[in-house]
Parts: sequence; C-alpha cells; structure tokens
Amino acid sequence: MMKIYDAVVIGAGAIGTSVAYHLCREGMKVALLDHGDIAGGSSSHCDAVALICDKEPGIDTTMGQASIDLYNEYADKFDYDFEYDAKGCLYICETEPEMVAAERYAKAQQANGYPLRMVDNKELCEMEPYIAKDLAGGLYTPPSGAVSVCPYKVCFAFTEEGKKLGLDVFTYCTIHAIRLNPADHSVESLDTSCGTFSTKRIINCAGVWASDIGKLAGIYIPVQPRKGMNLISEKVSKIVNHKLLEFGYMMSKFDDIQFKRKVSPLVEEYNVAFNLEYTKASNLLVGGYRGFRGFDTRSEIEAMEAISERALRFYPCLKDIQCIRSYAGVRPFVADHLPIVSDVDDIPGFYIAAGHEGDGICFSPITGLLMSQIITGKKTDFDISPLDYVRFESKRS
Amino acid sequence: MDNLSDDMIVCRCEEVTVADIKQAIREGARDVVGVKRRVRAGMGLCQGRTCAKLVQQILCTELNLKPDQTGSSSARPPVRPVSFGELAEGAVE
Repeated sequence: MMKIYDAVVIGAGAIGTSVAYHLCREGMKVALLDHGDIAGGSSSHCDAVALICDKEPGIDTTMGQASIDLYNEYADKFDYDFEYDAKGCLYICETEPEMVAAERYAKAQQANGYPLRMVDNKELCEMEPYIAKDLAGGLYTPPSGAVSVCPYKVCFAFTEEGKKLGLDVFTYCTIHAIRLNPADHSVESLDTSCGTFSTKRIINCAGVWASDIGKLAGIYIPVQPRKGMNLISEKVSKIVNHKLLEFGYMMSKFDDIQFKRKVSPLVEEYNVAFNLEYTKASNLLVGGYRGFRGFDTRSEIEAMEAISERALRFYPCLKDIQCIRSYAGVRPFVADHLPIVSDVDDIPGFYIAAGHEGDGICFSPITGLLMSQIITGKKTDFDISPLDYVRFESKRS
Repeated sequence: MDNLSDDMIVCRCEEVTVADIKQAIREGARDVVGVKRRVRAGMGLCQGRTCAKLVQQILCTELNLKPDQTGSSSARPPVRPVSFGELAEGAVE
C-alpha cells in the first residue's frame, strides 16, 4: 500500500530528528527514514556540547545562541531526558599570544552582546583546581552560552516527542530512488526498502551521506566526511567543572586563524587540540582531532597517543586515570564551514539541512525550527541567506 | 531465555537489568549497539565482555532473530583499560 506523507525526512541524526519534530509541530504528517538506527552515524560518535564560543562572530554565533536557548526550553518541556547540563565553558590559553588572540575574539563577541570574558591564571586555577598551574589564562563563557547534552539522547528525545505528534519512524530503511515530476521537477515520491512513499516534500538531513541522497535527486551537495576521535575514561569523581578546550582548537577548526602552538610533531600531524568534559555518567571524554580519512572511522593508535599527550599538558592528573575506550566518527564538512539549510530552486519540494560539520549537535534545535519556517513559508527567525544552497548551485558537477 | 526475571542485572558495570533491555527493544533497538546506546549496556569498564552475549540472546528471544543478526559493538582500542599516561608515552601497541 502506498504511504502518503506531507513530508519525508531522510536521516535520523541530530538534524533529521529535530527537523521531523519541528514539522510535526506544524501539524504535518511526517515520516522519518534512516538506513540504520536512530543516531546511528555521526550523532553517536561525537562530543556533547553546544557552545557559542567556538563560533565565528555573526550568523554562526546567532544560530548557536538560538539553539542553546531552545535546548534550555526543551529540557524542561520534553519527557525524554537528554541530559541537558548548563555547565559553562573555558577556552584555555597556553601562552600570552593566545591570550591576545582570545581577547580579540572575546571583544568581537562582546560587541554583539555575548557575555564572554577573560580569566587570568589565578581565576582559571580556582575554576578548575586540577588544571596545570602554568597556563596563561582562559576565555570564559557562562552557562547561558555553553551547555552540554547527550547527543544520541537528543535524537531519541526529538523522535519520541515527534511520535506523540504523529511522527512515523522507518529505521533500517534504504532509499532506492527519488522520483520527480517530469514536467516541473517537483518531488513526487521515494522508492525504499520499506515501500513507496508519496510526498511533495523531502528534507535531506543525511549529514555525511547528504551528497549520496543529492545524487538520487540529480544534484551535487558538497559535503565531505571529516574524521574526529575521542577517548573515554573510567568513571571518576568530578574533576572537571566546565567544558574545557584549548584556544588552539579554534586554529584546528578554522584553518584561517593564524597562530602557531608549541606542540610535538605527533600532535601537529593529527591536528589534535585538547578538549575535555565530564559526562552525566561520570566518564571523561578526552579529545580531539580533525582529519580527512574518507569514511574510515577506525581508531588510530597514533591519534590516541597524540590526544593523550596533549591532554596531559593541560590536565596532568589524567596520567593515572584509565582510558577504557576510543571512538571515532565523521563530521559533515562543508568548505565554507557553514551548514546548508535551504530549499533547492531547481527541485520544488526538495530541501537540504546538512553540512553542519562539528556543529550538528549545537545547531540541531535551531536547524529544525528554521527548516519548519522555510517549509511552511513563514519568515525565518533571522536572515539565513548565507546558508542557502544557491551558493553551490553554480559549481554543480 | 524465557525464564529471566526482569530485575536480573545483565550489564554489571552499568547496572542494566533485563527490564531495561526489553524497554530499549520496545524503543526500537534491534541490535547490540542499539541497546547499548539506549540503556548503556556494554558502556562500562569491561566494554560488554560480560554482557554482550546475554544482550544478544535477549534480542534474539524478543525479536525472533538469529544471533548473527544482532550485530556487535565495534572493536575499538584499547583492548584493556590503559592509563592516559601510558598512552601518551606510546607504550601501547
């Protein structure tokens, strides 16, 4: 029997589940499809934070703050606990030149009204008693702009809340073809391993697989996998209060920010930046690195060594704490570091919400809300023209 | 497997019971990783060495699957817990 839906969302990660939930809230009949389980891809192989302080000033930060505000709202409203924890964030500056660069960044964010501020060595050591004592200082973001959530539980939460509003979920469902109307190229249906879905709207939220889905519709979507890796500790007492990152992380994220760290060749080679957080389950997550390895998500021993080496520089007490597991995943990377949240001019009814790189968890709620505004023809909460797919349409292969 | 009591602990590291695992299956888990992600069975110190087989058997019973259809958690280093200090020194092969 033909399945008929107002919208079919492809991809049940942090973006797709949010889009599905927000469309259900608009009263639409929605199907959520994934080739595996909910949160089976990038959204269960990442870290757990939503921050404004790892964003460039402008739309990046605007989206981050809007999303954090929504997380705050949904943590109260949803029955499903996604482990929201407004913990604040410290960007650690190892040296004075990093302090100078961080201060410049802080000023730009303060000018837009965000309450970031610098802390000196003394205050840093008070805020994190176990941190190395010889660091220059840090950039502090209060809990209003830095929260943590359990990423895969976010996906489960949006799915379960969506189901209450009539969402139908089809996991382990492979898409064979997307059918367009021959006359106007508008979306008509999908052929899948779960049967045929008749719909006028498809939202491609397939993350690192978004380009594969794009091909089924005959369009080029420039999303590439960019690998990341984290180490997990045994359960320990709460020795980390905030989300901690080294300011050099900015360098590894935005290749255009220029300043050189004094690190070993191994740390340099793996593009490793210190990154630490304490989870609700009492484990530490220790990261992280960025690399292009295609879809190879095996754990690399050398990367584990580099991550550990860098972590000990900032957190010496990790030396005697046990690592129990590593994990690696792929981020949906787009060259200009901005996600695609957009309709597609050539295919009426085809939408894209993908390419969030390392910000998928952070941008999950706001992306769902914005996509529901685009689809229902409402005015979006803020100008999102930089996220439009049109910026790639001229480069089609 | 029908005679397991619901309050029996399956994953000792994370204290996950038979009832928790059945709940994960009701929420859509179809394999060992799906159970792990929903209720933490296999996320503890022993990384599922003790409970993975039992989780697999419960999945087989509840969903009428064969063991090879229930997958397994991906193999990841370290093989046994190792300190970050040892890791940083490159002492782990």
